[in-house]
Amino acid sequence: MSAEEHHNAAAGEDEVEASPDVHFEPVMKLEQLDEIKTFEEDEDTIFKMRAKLFRFVKGDNEWKERGTGDVKLLKHKVTGKIRVLMRRDKTHKICANHFVSNEMNLTPNVGSDRSWVYNVAADFSEGAPTAELLAIRFANTENANKFKEAFEEAKVVNAKISDSPSSAAPAEPAASAEPAAHAEPAAHAEPAAASAEHAAAHTETAAEAATEEAAHVPEPAATATETAALAEAAPAETAPAEAEHKAE
Amino acid sequence: MADIPTFKLVLVGGDPAGKTTFVKRHLTGEFEKKSSPTTLGVEVHPLTFHTNFGAICFNTWDTASLTIAAAAARAAASRSLQGQEKFGGLRDGYYIQGQCAIIMFDVTSRITYKNVPNWHRDLVRVCENIPIVLCGNKVDIKERKVKAKAITFHRKKNLQYYDISAKSNYNFEKPFLWLARKLIGNPNLDFVAAPALAPAEVTIDAATIAQMENEMQEASAIPLPAEDDDDL
Repeated sequence: MSAEEHHNAAAGEDEVEASPDVHFEPVMKLEQLDEIKTFEEDEDTIFKMRAKLFRFVKGDNEWKERGTGDVKLLKHKVTGKIRVLMRRDKTHKICANHFVSNEMNLTPNVGSDRSWVYNVAADFSEGAPTAELLAIRFANTENANKFKEAFEEAKVVNAKISDSPSSAAPAEPAASAEPAAHAEPAAHAEPAAASAEHAAAHTETAAEAATEEAAHVPEPAATATETAALAEAAPAETAPAEAEHKAE
Repeated sequence: MADIPTFKLVLVGGDPAGKTTFVKRHLTGEFEKKSSPTTLGVEVHPLTFHTNFGAICFNTWDTASLTIAAAAARAAASRSLQGQEKFGGLRDGYYIQGQCAIIMFDVTSRITYKNVPNWHRDLVRVCENIPIVLCGNKVDIKERKVKAKAITFHRKKNLQYYDISAKSNYNFEKPFLWLARKLIGNPNLDFVAAPALAPAEVTIDAATIAQMENEMQEASAIPLPAEDDDDL
């Protein structure tokens, strides 16, 4: 991390002297998790590169930093769909989480030969979907171009998947890429509303999944001690999920 | 994620130490260069972290570090301000039930370091024996005024100390990491990948696409913030 190196060089030998490590009575006892779920387990990383992400804040009419870290393209092992996922360094929080879709056009940003601007209709970084105007900057032009190449390939892959909805027909490969998003705009109004509902429904499911997941993975305050007690009572190899079920 | 373990964190320090900038950096990732107007009253921001002990949340009280003028105005309004004189302290309500704290100063401003004992005194008057981190912010700036060897207050009071920079992100996660370890009483706590739930499919109509396209054209003509990417 060159920022840290830079700092260390500046501080040199005169570091601030540390205090002795003192004990505080813990406020809450939590159990260490056996397993950390990233929800990337069913995907393959097909592209990964360091980048800095920005988002456009309309009210202030300016670009604001969103995070620095690895941007990844993840391809689902079953569906084949590809999403963009990016986490911030150090805190590992999510700053981009959306599918690659056909209407996303990577556009240069003024005065920069190593960044791309693009629109996201629904980004899921914070759980609930939000429309974002993003800009992503790389270390150099070469890296930016590599990203664009991978991104464009992902668009084609995803477009083919949405064109052949689970009917495993040997789809016409060349022609299928373009019509998906732009097809008959007149008839589109209703499906759009319907799919908005669908999106909402999906979000709920996601939220539910998160809450359910919270029961065994991030262990909320109330259940933490209960779960811990149960885990001890249950045989060692009992998965936390089963322990939860017994509780009900 | 409604019921994750939550702790009240009191964030205090001389104005402008960069408290609000630091909180925003954690909340949205942004770095606000412009000195924002002094926070009035208090803003409470839930900062969630994913750890190998599950998700935890710091309800972070970004407390107003009142300017002298504002403190004087308030002093006129309330006569029961004993002990909260000149430097513009806070009402006890801000501190009550605080479970941990960060005291922040600006290493380019000596007065903000000088005021640290006042913030500490007010804090521990209400919150006895809670884990506290002292942070010297803005260490990215070359003209450092409060030198490392001049920073000694934490050793007298057993506070943890970190040099930090909200700008470069240097050590910016450390205060929370140290506090989390103390609050749950386990030095093995670490931050882990936040769960990345699958995004949903969204279909948008042609009109929306066209509008977004326009906005993008406009935004692409606005340059991105500074090009100093030594972290890329």
